[in-house]
Amino acid sequence: MTDEHAILGPRPDYGFAHASEAEFARILDFYQVTWDYEPSVFPILWDLDGNVLESFAPDFYLPDLELFIELTTLQQRLVRKKNRKVRRLRELYPGLRIKLFYARDFRALMLKYGRAALLSELSGTLGQMMPHPEADDSAAAEPRSGAFDPSVPLDLVPAAPGASPGPRLHRDRPSRAARRRAMRKAAEAAAHAPAT
Amino acid sequence: MKHSQDLTADVAEVLLTEEQIAAKVAQMGQQISADYAGRELTLVSVLKGSLPFMADLMRRISLPLRIDLMEVSSYGGASTESSGLVRILKDLSAPIDGRDVLLVEDIIDTGLTLNYLLRYLKGKNPRSIKVCSLLDKPARRLVEIPIDYVGFEIPDAFVVGYGLDFGEVYRNLRFVGVLRPEAYES
Repeated sequence: MTDEHAILGPRPDYGFAHASEAEFARILDFYQVTWDYEPSVFPILWDLDGNVLESFAPDFYLPDLELFIELTTLQQRLVRKKNRKVRRLRELYPGLRIKLFYARDFRALMLKYGRAALLSELSGTLGQMMPHPEADDSAAAEPRSGAFDPSVPLDLVPAAPGASPGPRLHRDRPSRAARRRAMRKAAEAAAHAPAT
Repeated sequence: MKHSQDLTADVAEVLLTEEQIAAKVAQMGQQISADYAGRELTLVSVLKGSLPFMADLMRRISLPLRIDLMEVSSYGGASTESSGLVRILKDLSAPIDGRDVLLVEDIIDTGLTLNYLLRYLKGKNPRSIKVCSLLDKPARRLVEIPIDYVGFEIPDAFVVGYGLDFGEVYRNLRFVGVLRPEAYES
């Protein structure tokens, strides 16, 4: 069978931050659902001068379904932080469709596909990090939450004057094209930021 | 996976009794009969889970109809690991072009399989294609697909019985029940 939506070629190395993200991508590939990894960065908090203080980059975008998906298999404290960001995202970008995929959702998915044995490798907190081969030990041990720290998106938008860059997460970006798209979207979003 | 010889012992709670299912299937059959009156209906059952539902539903539809069966590989299944892509394990046995197709599913949760199947079947040029599912678990939905006939909306729990399995077991239970966590965590 051929299908125009099928993903037949090899996928570029996306450098997933989590084993769970890589597994989720394999499931999407299996069912021939096109996806992009962290293609967009959405500013969600600005300072009084209009500089972006906080942004959010959902993990997956499914273009055919016009749906963003954020996987969260982390500890409860970080889930609350993510819930807050998703709520803020929905307030600021009401047309945007995003689904938060919790640990229990992922667990159910693995059970359904008979992959329960994988769960012990995929769940947890810091253990979820897939160390980048080139990353030094300290970077590899950083928790996933760093990906959503304000410091990460700030490399895509002008930083607030005098703002500390904060800790950075060592990770691969999907591709130059994806980064360019994300930068363009972030710049557009910043330009249309609500007055504060 | 370890299961009891008495399958009901692995069930924490009966979610839908045999009687509730039978009543709902009768109601769905009546509705489908009214909606498709005078049309060329083909019921397509998606193996294996929908078999009991299909068998009961088709006998509750009072129209001349055809039935067909399809089976697709599931993620994580042994037969699929070589390609990494979903495959049709059993295709339709007759053309459906120009016919009204009703896809019969046991349960819709993520919608990933259904999304794939609908795209595949639409490529065969049916006159229309609709979806009928005994169970709907909207909490798990990833792909939003309208389901035309839904028997029961169920909570976010791991259910077995009336065709639904865990590790190919429990399909022959006459009711739909919530599986005890011990049954799948062992």
